[in-house]
Amino acid sequence: MKTIYKKLLILVLLLPFSVLAQNTVSGTVVDKVSGQPLPGVNVNVQGTAKGVSTGFDGNYQLNDVKRGDKIVFSYIGYKNSVIEYVAQKPLNVLLQEDANQLKEVVVQVGYGTVKKKDATGAVTVLSTKDFNKGANVTAENLLNGRVAGVTVNTSGAPGSGSQIRIRGGSSLFASNDPLIVIDGLPIENTAGTGSTSFLASLNPSTIESITVLKDASATAIYGSRASNGVIIITTKKGSKNLAVDYNFQYGSGELVKTTDVFDAAGFRAIIANKRPADVSKLGTANTDWQKAIYRKTDFVDNNLSLRGNLFNAIPSRLTIGNTYQEGLRLTNTFNRNTIGLALNPTLFKDHLKLKLNANYANENNRFADGVEGSAIRFDPTQPIYSAGSIYGGFFEYYNAGNGKLTSQTPRNPVAQLLQTFDKGTSNRFFGNFELDYKLHFFPAIRAVVNAGFDQANGERTRNASRFAASSGSNNDIPYGTNEFSKSERKNKLLDAYLVYNRTMGGLVFDATAGYSYQKWDSYNFASGNTNDPNLPGGLTGFPRTNVDYDRVNIGFFGRTNLNWNDKYLLTLSFRRDGSSRFDKANRWANFPAAAFAWKIKEDLLPNSTTVSDLKLRLGYGITGQQEVGNNNDYLQQYNLGSGSSQYVFGTLAVPIAVSARLSSGLKWEETITYNAGLDFGLYNNRVTGSLEVFYKDSKDLLADVATADGSNFSNFSYQNIGNLTTKGIEFSISTDAVRTQDVTWNLNFNTTAFARKITKLNSQLIAVGDNIAGTGTRGQVQQVGFAPFSFLLYKQLYDASGKPVEGAYEDSNKDGVINASDKYVYRNPDPKAVFGFASTLNYKNLDFSFNLRASLGNRVFNAVNASRAQYNLLTTGGTVGNIPTSVLDTDFVNTSSVVLSDLFVENASFLRMDNITLGYTFPKWLEGKASLRLFAGMQNVFVISDYSGLDPEIANNGVDNTIYPRQRSILGGVNVKF
Amino acid sequence: MKKIKFIYLLAAFATLQGCTSDLELVSEDSKVLTSAELYATPAGYKQALAGVYGNLSLTGTGDAGSSFLQGIDAGTSQFGRCMWYLQDLTTDEVIWTYENDEGVAELQRNNWTAANPILLGMFSRTMAEVAFANDFLKQSTPALLSSRGITATADVAEINSYRNEVRVLRAFAYYNLMDLFGKAPFVTENDPIDFKGPQYDRQQLFTFIEKELNEVIPNLKAARTNEYGRLDKAMAQMILAKMYLNAQVYIGTPKYAECMAKCADVIAGGYVLKTNYLDNFKADNHTSSEMIFTLQSDGVKTQNYGASTIIINGQVGSIEANGAEFGVGGFGGALRIRKQLVEKFDGSQFATDVRKTYTAGSRSIDIAEPTNAAQGYILHKFSNKTSAGVAGVNSTFVDTDFPLFRLADAYLMYAEAQMRKDGATNANTANTASAQSLTYINALRQRANNGSAVANVTQSQVNLDFIIDERARELHWEGHRRQDLIRFNKYGGGNYNWAWKGNIANGTSFGTNLNVFPLPSASIAANPNLTQNSGY
Repeated sequence: MKTIYKKLLILVLLLPFSVLAQNTVSGTVVDKVSGQPLPGVNVNVQGTAKGVSTGFDGNYQLNDVKRGDKIVFSYIGYKNSVIEYVAQKPLNVLLQEDANQLKEVVVQVGYGTVKKKDATGAVTVLSTKDFNKGANVTAENLLNGRVAGVTVNTSGAPGSGSQIRIRGGSSLFASNDPLIVIDGLPIENTAGTGSTSFLASLNPSTIESITVLKDASATAIYGSRASNGVIIITTKKGSKNLAVDYNFQYGSGELVKTTDVFDAAGFRAIIANKRPADVSKLGTANTDWQKAIYRKTDFVDNNLSLRGNLFNAIPSRLTIGNTYQEGLRLTNTFNRNTIGLALNPTLFKDHLKLKLNANYANENNRFADGVEGSAIRFDPTQPIYSAGSIYGGFFEYYNAGNGKLTSQTPRNPVAQLLQTFDKGTSNRFFGNFELDYKLHFFPAIRAVVNAGFDQANGERTRNASRFAASSGSNNDIPYGTNEFSKSERKNKLLDAYLVYNRTMGGLVFDATAGYSYQKWDSYNFASGNTNDPNLPGGLTGFPRTNVDYDRVNIGFFGRTNLNWNDKYLLTLSFRRDGSSRFDKANRWANFPAAAFAWKIKEDLLPNSTTVSDLKLRLGYGITGQQEVGNNNDYLQQYNLGSGSSQYVFGTLAVPIAVSARLSSGLKWEETITYNAGLDFGLYNNRVTGSLEVFYKDSKDLLADVATADGSNFSNFSYQNIGNLTTKGIEFSISTDAVRTQDVTWNLNFNTTAFARKITKLNSQLIAVGDNIAGTGTRGQVQQVGFAPFSFLLYKQLYDASGKPVEGAYEDSNKDGVINASDKYVYRNPDPKAVFGFASTLNYKNLDFSFNLRASLGNRVFNAVNASRAQYNLLTTGGTVGNIPTSVLDTDFVNTSSVVLSDLFVENASFLRMDNITLGYTFPKWLEGKASLRLFAGMQNVFVISDYSGLDPEIANNGVDNTIYPRQRSILGGVNVKF
Repeated sequence: MKKIKFIYLLAAFATLQGCTSDLELVSEDSKVLTSAELYATPAGYKQALAGVYGNLSLTGTGDAGSSFLQGIDAGTSQFGRCMWYLQDLTTDEVIWTYENDEGVAELQRNNWTAANPILLGMFSRTMAEVAFANDFLKQSTPALLSSRGITATADVAEINSYRNEVRVLRAFAYYNLMDLFGKAPFVTENDPIDFKGPQYDRQQLFTFIEKELNEVIPNLKAARTNEYGRLDKAMAQMILAKMYLNAQVYIGTPKYAECMAKCADVIAGGYVLKTNYLDNFKADNHTSSEMIFTLQSDGVKTQNYGASTIIINGQVGSIEANGAEFGVGGFGGALRIRKQLVEKFDGSQFATDVRKTYTAGSRSIDIAEPTNAAQGYILHKFSNKTSAGVAGVNSTFVDTDFPLFRLADAYLMYAEAQMRKDGATNANTANTASAQSLTYINALRQRANNGSAVANVTQSQVNLDFIIDERARELHWEGHRRQDLIRFNKYGGGNYNWAWKGNIANGTSFGTNLNVFPLPSASIAANPNLTQNSGY
């Protein structure tokens, strides 16, 4: 591929600018409206292969034309013009823009675009008008619920990241996150120091469109990173016309729900009943700790966008934004300043297009510890503040004589929030510069070079005084917290490719070939808690700088689209990728894909008035996955022990040197995807939709699994083991239900059902999941025949009245003994189906919209109840502690005898309304100079679910171990356009 | 045209970048080394040696929560702690409150399965020791030393003595697997990475360990002459003595005379009983004249959730909240002792026995519910304070080493081997103690009674039943109990019951198949050469 590329380069350098020859017909093709010459117009003699294209000046010459020949002038975005040759001299042609074609949706497919109607893969594109309304702080929330097959699960923390899944994810232990590409730059999907999430630095209001590539025929062009789908984010371009757009939004949020625990009165009663000896330990206050740690929040979002023709030559956009969002936890804030600049000049009569996107984001966040657990646990009869407390005036359990904290007691969660200063700042600059040059002497070829850059520098400072009981302590005396960390991460990209377009009779053909280079490097620094008297120092102790291995990805790619008579479409693509993550033998891999589409309507239903569009798509492709483990797992590397991992010889402590485990034979994960889709349009495309069925077979799954003991430097190593299949069906439909002068009503619905199943593993089963309660209490499993992260639990037995009997489990293997072998696989966290529904109604100047999401059949393990709702937990460390009131239903006493019961797996199906918005537009504000829209709405309006915990949407592979609750907020704002 | 040139320039740049050598990795971190970098100097070899020793104390190279192993909690896979769980928690000595710590309940109730994570921790941690040892042996051959420019005679000799010690550590690893699991995959320095070792049974392991240790003993440093943290002849002799004492169990052939000889070698090494028994379990116990080998723990330099940290924090009572007594915060009452251990100290002869450290307080001696931290007496044997009473610097990670082998053990082993050699058997616990054996036993008795002979015993008082009980009194919570009970036929198949034995409050017997643990299912799945022990 490299040599071909070089040859092409030389060709490009040597070709003369134009070749003149004798002709029988010649002329100029111009735009009918502007009169500007059109370069690259295809000029063909109908029914023959004879054809040329116009030059940069719109001129063409065509030889050997006979009188009576029909000459076809075709150009993308324009209506074809067919003219009979009657010896015109010159034959000048006016081409008219095709309104239908122009408004046609363009889909980003990676290193290029296609028209939606010619797309052969499973792709969905959302543009600004389709985005979710409301308080969407991070980009992924713009599409939540709007795309079949895509789920987004965002935490309650402001600015926080989300778990994004396209068709469920195709890995067990490797990443299931889709590849995210912003303006051609694939970005790393983890948050840097001081930042809340990797997408937090992108201001959603700068986004023009989001394209989701779902099947391999579309994603394979991204080769080794494409198995979980690709999300291509395109930012808004500059425009020639001056436009000012200002948006202001304010929101006020509050807590929706708390975990049901005993209130002060109820707690006094339960202690008196169950632990009469401990009544004396009760206080006299009435505190709702879960309410005490939260607050009402403010959300302020300001965005100003300026667009115009800079120096009368450069279409430009400048966006300035500030987003301030408070979290429910008392001290938690997210504050983001962004500047986005886009310059889109075109030179040489549109032959050279330059695109510069530069984004700068500055985040100032204050993080807050997860204190939900202590808030649930803390004795509600104790006050928040206690006069004379040496711990900042907060109530804490301590010995007044020597100030020592009582061990094994919870720490005051309000104090923990208020006394901890945890500030992060992140400065991130990212963007790209693209040159798109249509060769003057050979306009059918475009050369594109895209250089991308992303650098994030973050810092985080964590401080707490030694009077903060929650800070680090030794011998039960806190020593405070004083930690500083910083990191730098860089990501550099260079893509170069050539695109060739050609029309030969009924065949429209394009080909793309190119090269991509991307490199990541990063390091971080940590001071450790300098107040810690036992903080290890020295060579391998603190302060400490860790330099990560660079990661380099190199890819060669090619793609061709063949369109025969605008009926039959064939896309072939190929990528060869190399990764520094694998050793020489397995470093390179090939990722081919093919897709075929047939526009059935044209062939079979040409006269149907009902069916306006019908296209069948078939796709196949192989994609890869490399996001597993570390950058250097295949090398034998010796790690040196940290300051606290030393061995003492004599009196000298020596940091140990131990070989890291070796994963020498590692190679890519491979996912083969088959996809069949049917796109339809009815009633002149007033109703449009798609039906997709897909089957994914992931092979050579990279998993961290048991290796033969004694032969490696661990019991586990990364190995390519096992297969996982996903099969599913997606359906989406959109309709303008009402379309009159005054009223338009658009409805959108999508649903996805999929099932994942592990079909091969080299190990019987792999225990996974959180420590639900206590060390190593894992209640989930990867096992052949079941979905990933299925629950592995004991089958609860119930008495005649239907009440669970504590510790009574079914002897499922019938061996007469109840032990770990009796655990069985019971359900899994995957939903059976997910649904999205959106409605937008416009009546004159009034607009009203809402969107709903639903999930069916997803299961959640309620670890809050499993590990906390037992009477033995009424006491802790010599004091009393609160427990969830669900204990009244079970009367469970001992945590350990019930924690792994299947009783705690609950059906967490839900219906949620994310947003509802009502707006009114004054179209002729300021005497018609501007338009003004006022709106009000609500975010996280309601959730309907049988799940007994706080929220049925749990990202943690279905284990609910307390969450940061999502707030409900009332929104209002203005939108001004000049 | 300038712009066009720029494109060509960029395109050319792209081609240059295509130089795929960028896909080769180079470490930029001073804490990560290639083998060439690490082994460039003798100091590097010593760091690697620290790694092989360190795996018995530490779980990873990061903090105490880091681990070389996966699929299991770091602390739950610490060598000493796993060994302690398997040897002591499965017996009459101790019970753990937090049964929701996975694997613990099954161990202390004797209904474990091959899926038990602590078994995985022990098996994999010990086999990792084999792997680390093999790697060291691979990297320290004379040829590699000279190719790396390490040629000074003193350096070569020193690295050679590291090699001998590493071979003992590997033999020690196989000894543990032989005792606990009855089999192990056999891997040496000559095998490649990811080699699936053939299964060695007890006889094969016994033969290998015996040959290996006898081969290196002449080249090891004499007892008590090596620096702290490194083993000497006595460690190797102690392993052999243990094997010979249990040879009847392991290979069906008694080797009591051999055991006596090895114990005598150890005793001749110059060890002296520490005057104060409890000093052997304090923060400065590594200075005890009685220690043959310890598993290191240090509140700053060697932090781990290992045996001594767990024991001392676990000793703190839920009611007593007596962490200050031991210089730790404690786990809110994790460990209590079972009734049968308490009863070993019943009788007036133990009135002044300093080894009787338990307290009752308001506690019941019976444990109706293992998870009730208030039931069962608590122990005060170990401490994170020095013999001078100074608390360790860290209230979580103790400075106290775990006493793996100490002289008192060798004394009692000698006595037992002598008695068994002279005709005592499990069935016939005749009074056959020799004068030498009585001297050793009474040395311990006298030490336990502050130098007083008040509790000394005579030959008519000493039979095998006495020995097993005396071992419990002297060595409880030191990781010997299960092995001892099996040798005395009081574990699987025996009629000696203790609280919660066999998952019954008053105890019930269980089959002899439990005398070896099952191989972890994950280990069998990854190495098809391994077969499961019968009865699992």
